[in-house]
Amino acid sequence: MRALVIDDSRAMRRIVSGILIGLGYEVRDAGHGREGLDVLDEGWKPHLLCVDWNMPVMDGLQFVSAVRSNPAWRSVTIMMVTSESEHTQIVRALAAGAHEYVIKPFTADAIRDKLALLGLLPEEVPAGVPVPLRSSEQEVAL
Amino acid sequence: MTTMDTGERRRSSDVRPVITDLIDGATVLSIAEEAWIALVGEDEILVPIPGEPPVDIVSSWVDIVGPWTGSVVLTTGRGTAEELSRALLREAAPEVLEHEDVEDAFGEIANVVGGNVKAALPGPSGLSLPQVGNAPVVRNPVDVCRVDVVWRGEPVSISVQGALPPLPVPSPTRENEVPL
Repeated sequence: MRALVIDDSRAMRRIVSGILIGLGYEVRDAGHGREGLDVLDEGWKPHLLCVDWNMPVMDGLQFVSAVRSNPAWRSVTIMMVTSESEHTQIVRALAAGAHEYVIKPFTADAIRDKLALLGLLPEEVPAGVPVPLRSSEQEVAL
Repeated sequence: MTTMDTGERRRSSDVRPVITDLIDGATVLSIAEEAWIALVGEDEILVPIPGEPPVDIVSSWVDIVGPWTGSVVLTTGRGTAEELSRALLREAAPEVLEHEDVEDAFGEIANVVGGNVKAALPGPSGLSLPQVGNAPVVRNPVDVCRVDVVWRGEPVSISVQGALPPLPVPSPTRENEVPL
């Protein structure tokens, strides 16, 4: 499985990528939405997009809208991973086409649980196998 | 922070909330602890006592614009900011941290703390991208909620501070004033 991690923070890209690689993903990353679209334009087809909200050049919401408006990318799963935790913002992201929403700070387990819900947990990683942990989790019940 | 003139005139009777009406130090500390544990490490503890402020300090912050407007500012010594960045990056940390690595990681911690502070305030509000450098000045000493902690023996302050100056104090009515 392939994932594209889009976040303007290199540190956060490393953390999220590390978790996904630990789960068996092949990962590429981008520093903002425009760069993310460039990766998709190359023809690289990820199963999962992990997208931050607040980024320069093109923010996460604009990116999600751009992806959803292109039929070629319609099947990709989008998970927002962001510190934007206002309920209205979450609703906006989901309305724009995101499937899931993870609020920073998050745990590796939270990411894995979300991926399991989405059916995007690579089969070779059995439940209970530890991945690099970031403890503490905040999730919003919608 | 960039401020915009909305063209609205203020009256001396206008009421604007200060941060201590909206959030308390315990909540800010709890948010910071949560972020520390998640980002820096499970065993990383913030001890809520003021430490001796270092000489060479650096701040990272995000701005919140909404019903309450201000900044969430983390301030610590440059060496501590570097140590924080290493802890955040863990095994992904390069042998020699570049200045940009520290700015990025220290800024991201402010982003996570700031985003969660924003969620505790009345909304809707906007959140800026993180910045690193000299902290924004405190424009209204009453509009500040500051928590001082010690992390690995080094002082760190988390300040949620308003960006707007105090409103003018209404003149008291002078009932017994004699007309001239």
